[in-house]
Amino acid sequence: MGLKKILTDRETWTGLVSIIGLSIILGLASHPSLIKRFLAGEFKQAFILKEDFPELVFISLPEAEEAWSRQEAVFIDSRSQEQFDLGHVPGAISIPLEDLKNGREDLLTLIPEVPEIVIYCESGSCQDSTDLAKILEWRGFKNLKVFLGGWAEWQQNGLPVETNVAK
Amino acid sequence: MWPNKYVLLACRLIVGAVFIWAGVSKIADPLSFAQNVKNYQLVGQTLSFLTAVFLPWVELIAGLWLIIGLYPKSSALLISCLLGFFIVLVAITMARGLNVDCGCFGTFSRQADWWLIAEDSLWLALSLVLLFSPANDFCLFKGKSSKA
Repeated sequence: MGLKKILTDRETWTGLVSIIGLSIILGLASHPSLIKRFLAGEFKQAFILKEDFPELVFISLPEAEEAWSRQEAVFIDSRSQEQFDLGHVPGAISIPLEDLKNGREDLLTLIPEVPEIVIYCESGSCQDSTDLAKILEWRGFKNLKVFLGGWAEWQQNGLPVETNVAK
Repeated sequence: MWPNKYVLLACRLIVGAVFIWAGVSKIADPLSFAQNVKNYQLVGQTLSFLTAVFLPWVELIAGLWLIIGLYPKSSALLISCLLGFFIVLVAITMARGLNVDCGCFGTFSRQADWWLIAEDSLWLALSLVLLFSPANDFCLFKGKSSKA
């Protein structure tokens, strides 16, 4: 049976339309609350359900900037050391999630006692910041905030940056 | 030249089962799948979300209908197109040097690499056999195109 015959067969198109149509109906019916929340503007930065992380506070760029300006919060960069060296939020501490998972517990001693901790990773597409925040929460750290926009949003908005690259 | 009806039935069961599993594993956790789609860095937040809500159902229904033999040619055509797209997508992703989770089977997903392209190519070959074979026995709905 040739492709032309298949594509010109009405039955083929009836089948395709019915599969896609049924998928749309079932997709809408199976996740109504998610779709409603998406239309209301949720998940714009990351596909996470904030109720899954009740202990964490998620902050936006203005809130992160404000916390950084007050100099009362310590920023923790959960990306790799190489990424950190190329550019990070000024004053941030590098605690790569991968290194911590690989046993670098000594990294936690770098965190000073401050009123709040702001954790970020590359952008809303990464989950390293929420994963690191959960680890810190288990280790007893308090007032954890996750900046979902991350390094990408910070940089794109022309905010101050610091690098460790030799000039 | 074409395989006998039992081989074709086996192809339908295998490809159909793979797609049913792919669909079900993603329907359970749409946000994780949306993140997987986003990680390919080809579409934005909205399209990633819509893909995550609807594509798993397309996979599930196409796989189910292929197995029971309801519009088998339509299912085989749709599955072939999807597999062709997945192969190109993984190849582009590798060429861009991105190291991403394929998002193929929910929590059972693995890295998008050459092995994934090889696996998808195998399913595509089976799907194309089903698409172009003149007969489809053991079908629930025997339309005119599925008669021997």
